[in-house]
Amino acid sequence: MQLQDKYRIALLSAYAVALHAFESLLPTPIPWLRLGLANIITLVTLLLYGFRAAMVVTLIRVILASLFIGTFLGPAFILSLGGGVTSTLAMGLILSVTPRLFSTIGLSLIGALFHNIAQLVLAYILFIQRIEAILLISPFIILIGALTGTVNGVISDLLIKNLKKTN
Amino acid sequence: MNLKGLLSSTTIADKFLLSILILLSFSGILFIKEVLPKGCEVQIEVNGRLVYVLPIEDNRIVSVKGPEGRTVIEIKDHRLRVIESPCHNKLCIKQGWIENGAIVCLPNRVLITIGNHEYSNIVDAITG
Repeated sequence: MQLQDKYRIALLSAYAVALHAFESLLPTPIPWLRLGLANIITLVTLLLYGFRAAMVVTLIRVILASLFIGTFLGPAFILSLGGGVTSTLAMGLILSVTPRLFSTIGLSLIGALFHNIAQLVLAYILFIQRIEAILLISPFIILIGALTGTVNGVISDLLIKNLKKTN
Repeated sequence: MNLKGLLSSTTIADKFLLSILILLSFSGILFIKEVLPKGCEVQIEVNGRLVYVLPIEDNRIVSVKGPEGRTVIEIKDHRLRVIESPCHNKLCIKQGWIENGAIVCLPNRVLITIGNHEYSNIVDAITG
């Protein structure tokens, strides 16, 4: 890993931590419902600097942000870690298998979907253990994920285009 | 940053994925209640004694006898209501149709609850 890459990862992680922490200040109707703004940074990193950088940024973001918020190693941290890692893996896999099939928005949707699936599965295994409660809430979570995923995809797309223009 | 450039950069797979997700979640919201096992039953207690456990699926009219007289309960289309009660304030009748929760008629000591009673024997608190 080159020095320049380290700087980039540090900078991107700082943005991601800031977004993650900011997001957790926003009130939401369901405890683990999030806008997924930090996914914007993961996606931008993935598309500009590759899978490894994206995974490093995600891990740094989840761990540092949970330390700042005070949820480190708590239930919210486990959900956040599982969701973040799974969505980064899914986006990276799709991008490496079929790089041209999805645009930034499609990748963002995949990220949001897998984030939600991982969180629902984790919530079922670790905390709720009532399949009907999970099944009842899943469609709502996936619908909201589709909407926020689209918005985040649009933002990521604009961000990437602007970054490429300035370089 | 114009919207046209953005729209042209989306692929067919994007639109397909988005429509599938929205379709899936909407149909999930609409149909998941039908698919799930209800597990719901109606319990009717009179004077603290369980007299009826009925599935909410069956439409029927049940009459129970309390200290004040006859309370008649109608179960229909996964809902229930009290249609006749000897109490004078008739709060239980005014409550109308309920799909979940409970109707209580204190004067006649009738307690009607809808729920998944599998979980109801877990005591969270005992007071008094």
